[in-house]
Amino acid sequence: MPTIAILALVLFTAVLAGVLVVRPAITVSRAGKILAFGVLFFLPLFSFAVGVQNEMQRSESTAFCLSCHIMEPYGKSLHIDDPSYLAGAHFQNHRVPADEACYTCHTNYAMFGTIKAKMGGLRHLYIYYLGKPPLPENIKLYEPFNNRECLHCHLGARSFEQGAMHNADPATLPAIKANALSCVSSGCHDTVHNVGHWGDKVKFWDGGS
Amino acid sequence: MVASDSMGHRLRISGIFVIIGLLVEALCLVWSRPIAFVVLVGIGGALIGIGVLLFLYSLVSAAPHATITSGPVARK
Repeated sequence: MPTIAILALVLFTAVLAGVLVVRPAITVSRAGKILAFGVLFFLPLFSFAVGVQNEMQRSESTAFCLSCHIMEPYGKSLHIDDPSYLAGAHFQNHRVPADEACYTCHTNYAMFGTIKAKMGGLRHLYIYYLGKPPLPENIKLYEPFNNRECLHCHLGARSFEQGAMHNADPATLPAIKANALSCVSSGCHDTVHNVGHWGDKVKFWDGGS
Repeated sequence: MVASDSMGHRLRISGIFVIIGLLVEALCLVWSRPIAFVVLVGIGGALIGIGVLLFLYSLVSAAPHATITSGPVARK
């Protein structure tokens, strides 16, 4: 449901509730009782549920993640004009949805992954507002990046399955699939965001959202 | 009728909680900051929840066949 529609529903419910506050006597009639049930029980709970769902969906957007100042360099890294930067190459070539770029790679594709990602987001909020947030270049993942998140899209893709480097050693591909050899390990796709290590020569692409 | 008057009072209080909760929700919907989600669930949800629970309580605690008056209650 679009945000404007939810907003209209919320305000409509508030206006009807206001009528009941001013004139509670209208609940004497049968229609008034039904109205009271709708306005003070069903509609508030329904409005709240769709509001929460809307916020949950919004929290998956790239703009939402980058609205924290600490994330600004990570947003900037998506525009680095260098294909060796993994995050930027995925974002600029729409290998991930541009409007959900952060969430697509940093969510957990196991069961309850979305819930885990939301709980992680709440933890970020706590640290941001009540804790001591680290400098952007010092931000680390809570746990090593799992290949499962890459394989969610790349598994079965020709470029992955038949890639020269992936097949140079027959043990490489099974090791990647078993998460025994990390995709982002040194010498492979190890240049991801690299915040704080860009240097002066890095250029930025000015396209995209 | 004292019971019906108190029910009307509870409906008013319930309505006020719901209205404030909904206004908090409306604010959070237009406020595009990560903290808006916490405010929506923590404050808006709590206010709406209290309002709804108070409404349900007013129903179960109402005297049978109670009527609600909007003005001062006439007593004999």
